[in-house]
Amino acid sequence: MDWNCTISEERLSDYLEGHLSPDESAAFSAHAAGCAQCAKLVAEVGGLVERLHNLEAVEAPPRLANNIIRATLGARWKRWFSWAPVLWQPRFAMGAATVAASLVIVFHTAGLTPAKLRRMDLSPANFFRSANRQVHLTYARSVKFVNDLRVVYEIQSRLEPDSEPSTTPSPAPPQPSKPSSSNPQQKSEQKTHDRSQVRPGAMIASLLHQGLPAAWLQVATRSPR
Amino acid sequence: MEPDAQLVLQCLRGEGSAWEELVRRHTRRVFGLCYRFTGNSTEAEDLSQEVFLRIYRTLPSYRAEQGAFPTWLTSVTRNLLVDNYRRTRRDRLTDSLEDAMPQLEEKHSTMRSPDKVAQAAELSDQMQRGLQRLSPELREAVILRDLQGLEYNEIQAVLQVPEGTVKSRINRGRIELARILEQIGIRPT
Repeated sequence: MDWNCTISEERLSDYLEGHLSPDESAAFSAHAAGCAQCAKLVAEVGGLVERLHNLEAVEAPPRLANNIIRATLGARWKRWFSWAPVLWQPRFAMGAATVAASLVIVFHTAGLTPAKLRRMDLSPANFFRSANRQVHLTYARSVKFVNDLRVVYEIQSRLEPDSEPSTTPSPAPPQPSKPSSSNPQQKSEQKTHDRSQVRPGAMIASLLHQGLPAAWLQVATRSPR
Repeated sequence: MEPDAQLVLQCLRGEGSAWEELVRRHTRRVFGLCYRFTGNSTEAEDLSQEVFLRIYRTLPSYRAEQGAFPTWLTSVTRNLLVDNYRRTRRDRLTDSLEDAMPQLEEKHSTMRSPDKVAQAAELSDQMQRGLQRLSPELREAVILRDLQGLEYNEIQAVLQVPEGTVKSRINRGRIELARILEQIGIRPT
């Protein structure tokens, strides 16, 4: 096989990488053994390829990967909350607002405030205990409020009986021609009126004497006039 | 399924962590290709970022039938390098090398002597000087074959030329590089 320098140069890489057939490889070696120029070329290029293969890779700057990720995915905190814009859709807004309001009501009912919230307050037992206490307190306050209203109403009715709206027809005015025969009913009413004027003061005194809680209960349980 | 294909599928499902993993896995290789081709680490950094931005935008168009993900990534990188080369050709001083070279990977024990470290850095610098004097076509062929370790069929897919042309460019590039190094006083052996 005729082998010259031109062919040697063209097939040099195939020779170095072992891609020549046995015959071609033998021809190449035989030519290189007799040609100083080709022998030098084989040595230089062979050495160069080996050094290139052993050359250490360059390291990318540490910030490069982070910069790429930030440029593509965005900042880390933005990635963490990337789901947040989804909540701004109208279909989620009402639900989110309802959930938030429910949580506020539940926590307020349980007597938990953000300022004083502790981790142990969130345990089921403590949560139930505080909620139970809050419910009982609220019930007791409601009962007291209603009872207070009734007491105030009773006191007001005693103090100002005239200002009361009357459901019964007003009694007939006294007849001027018969002053002496004043209606016994009028007399009794007058007496009653006098008595009622005395009664509020006595009633208040008795209230203070008995003590307010018992008195409130007494007034609350008395049937209205 | 090749390792990157699974990550690509996860990326297409919107998993950011998969994209992060892909980036971290391939950043060094892309940067190395960009640096060896441009000879400038700052330019290589910008180009590397641009490569991944382009990959991120066009990832939905990637199909496994087109080839392995690393090959596609290398192809995008090479096209960007060629475009950048054509765009900046007039402004470039082909013989210049920036003073600060990027750090080299320590293949061997970290307890290497400073002499060895300096020797490795010097060799890298010498090779880079030689590569900068090659024409872009020969330079990219030598880089892809001898520095990136790609097979001939992969280089063919990246360069979009026949395999015979790939082999010819690699061969001529090596011979030319050896002659350049000899001219500037660097003995490759």
